Amino acid sequence: MAVKFFGQFLVEKGVVSREILLQAIELQESVNLSFGATAMAMGLLAEGDIEKVHDAQRTEDLRFGDMAVKLGLLTGEQMMQVLARQKNTHLYIGEALVKVGGLSADKLPALLDEFKADQAQYATDKVAIPAGVTDAPFWEMLADLSYKMLTRVALLTFRPEPIATARSLPAMEVYAAMEFSGDVSGRYLLGVSAATQKQIAREILKEANVDGEPKEVLDDTVMEFVNVVLGNVAAKAAQMGKAIEIAPPELVEAAGEIEAPAGRSALRFPVCLADGDRVELAVFIEE
Amino acid sequence: MKKVLVVDDSISVARQLEKILTDSGEFQVVGHGKNGMEAIRLHQTEHPDIICMDMNMPGMDGLTALRTLVALDKNVKVVMVTSLGGVGDKFTEALRLGARTVISKPFEGDNVLKILREL
Repeated sequence: MAVKFFGQFLVEKGVVSREILLQAIELQESVNLSFGATAMAMGLLAEGDIEKVHDAQRTEDLRFGDMAVKLGLLTGEQMMQVLARQKNTHLYIGEALVKVGGLSADKLPALLDEFKADQAQYATDKVAIPAGVTDAPFWEMLADLSYKMLTRVALLTFRPEPIATARSLPAMEVYAAMEFSGDVSGRYLLGVSAATQKQIAREILKEANVDGEPKEVLDDTVMEFVNVVLGNVAAKAAQMGKAIEIAPPELVEAAGEIEAPAGRSALRFPVCLADGDRVELAVFIEE
Repeated sequence: MKKVLVVDDSISVARQLEKILTDSGEFQVVGHGKNGMEAIRLHQTEHPDIICMDMNMPGMDGLTALRTLVALDKNVKVVMVTSLGGVGDKFTEALRLGARTVISKPFEGDNVLKILREL
């Protein structure tokens, strides 16, 4: 039901044990070298060059190869050679499991097909991010996964509204938020009405009636929904090669509109529910 | 009946897990911790057979608590229940630190019971 990677899928199915998976991951780590280590193995960079690139990366956000080219340590052609070597020698987890004897090679294609079918529900659909917003593929994935979780976890039927940037978010009865940082950073916000909060609570708690639940529990279900969305966003981000860390979810106390903090603007992707109610989805992003 | 300690800062997740486990008639929830420190304390006082623990909690997080729990009791059976299960690095780190497995959120009751029965 969640975003997974292939090794996790196999452990959950009981196809491989945790011990075998760890052996396969260790094999992967010994084979799949970083860009710098690959360039050193090819005789294109020395250890001192690696340090120069890492030092430069502390002040400028560039990938290792691009920085090495910028510093004149590699030519563009050499960078492409290193990337090609990395791609050609990359050991995927399925192949690693076969190599360590945890999986037979003839079973791998069928298991991969099963995994792809399981995860197809989380394939990112096209979402239009406004022009000029950096890291657009990440926000596209985040918005799309939010929609999918509203459908699958909260069982809500809705129509997404156009995505736009704004300075503030409209007043809603309940807002939950979560900070995230890393290769992409921001603050995710989910605002709902009391009626939608109850629908989320019914699905999170698996209770048909939540009318008697205290506010603390109802609020907690909205925070947990945000936690589930962002955890799965982190998993999808990892598949895109971006690492993000998430903070615990929190409730936002706001009587009216929520202004974007200084240095950030709101990327809004609200939805309109079938009954006319609205769900506010947004992320405060760096300007 | 196996005794289970649930550790999650979310009261709704703790309730959901407790309902799944109790309704099965196979597990008894003996405590609910809200962070890693409480997990360590409740492990010492309640002696659970299994600990179901979140990763992302305020205060001491789940992976830090896992490291301590394994150091205190090398046979401790910890299952991480987390929205971060699909992040390969987190999953691998949890297994390396000694977690028996990792369950991703959102989870299904049948899957949770299947995993816990096999421990």
